[in-house]
Amino acid sequence: MNKSLTEKLESTFKDIRIAISEDSRIAVTAERDNVLAVLRFLKDAGFNHLALLSAVDWIEDDCFELCFILTSYMQNDDEVTGRQSLHIILKAKIPRKEPQFKTATGIFSNAEPYEREIHELFGIKFEGHKRLIPLLLEREYEIPPFRKDFDTRKYVQEVFDKIPSVENKDK
Amino acid sequence: MANKYSLHAIYFCTGCGIIEVPPVITARWDAERFGVIPVATPRQANLFLITGYVSVKTLRAIIRTYEQMYEPKYTVGFGSCPINGGMYWDSYNTIKHLDKYIPIDGWIAGCMPRPEAIFIAVTHLWTLIDKEMANGYIRYRENYNSYRRNQELALGKLDWPPLFPVSDEPQGNEQ
Repeated sequence: MNKSLTEKLESTFKDIRIAISEDSRIAVTAERDNVLAVLRFLKDAGFNHLALLSAVDWIEDDCFELCFILTSYMQNDDEVTGRQSLHIILKAKIPRKEPQFKTATGIFSNAEPYEREIHELFGIKFEGHKRLIPLLLEREYEIPPFRKDFDTRKYVQEVFDKIPSVENKDK
Repeated sequence: MANKYSLHAIYFCTGCGIIEVPPVITARWDAERFGVIPVATPRQANLFLITGYVSVKTLRAIIRTYEQMYEPKYTVGFGSCPINGGMYWDSYNTIKHLDKYIPIDGWIAGCMPRPEAIFIAVTHLWTLIDKEMANGYIRYRENYNSYRRNQELALGKLDWPPLFPVSDEPQGNEQ
């Protein structure tokens, strides 16, 4: 199945790079504009579960990388079929200067909280997301806190350490 | 005071320390030997065990829970994180020094403390209650201005009314 799937992917999409790290893991690197089409293709090919959507800040390369981890519920379950389950990691880079991407909620509706999380922690905006409101954070941050140029130590010193102790003035 | 042998602990879970609490309240360590039982709502509780790191969002829940408990009420910080941030000392979203926001009667140091440490803390708390040193709820009343100010520094404007009257005058040992 691996071979036919990778061949199909390569023939359908241009500019796609496929690396097979282990038998059960395939890393697909796609261009930014292709990602949703690849996602749709993989979903139709049986990878019907978006296990995780995450982001990486490659500050030296001046880009963010989105990672979609896909798997399938039953078809590749080794208890059902006797085969090892297959994971696909779909990666795409987006420039740091223009942190925007199209929402994947139309394909996988469970991408909704992941995209909200990435939006507030990395500041990546997802066009078409209907509810891009804060998910976890209570405070407002000038730089989204998961970006590499966010200085947590400085932030802690300026915010939490400046709050005075109530009863023990030595702290 | 008589209520020291019947501490009702609010079942409030935060951080990793809460994993110690199920064995403590059930058959293996059986906190009921020390008169500690968990209750479901802050309105029935007088012991508040904060069992781990406190994120800004959790702080909001902790303050609301603490203010709903009846007096006399006792708070115990469990683990390193509520004391000084622990391993989250430079986190962007973790409150260090929980005692800046609510009064704490005692701390259990460690990461993680063993379940037995909870019982040592409970017996210490008995002593403190006897000596009237477990007076966090009185200190909260006396220094409410300062506590409320710190809560607002961390959380922004609070969307619930003050528990006690707030004045602009400095009170207690506030500068």
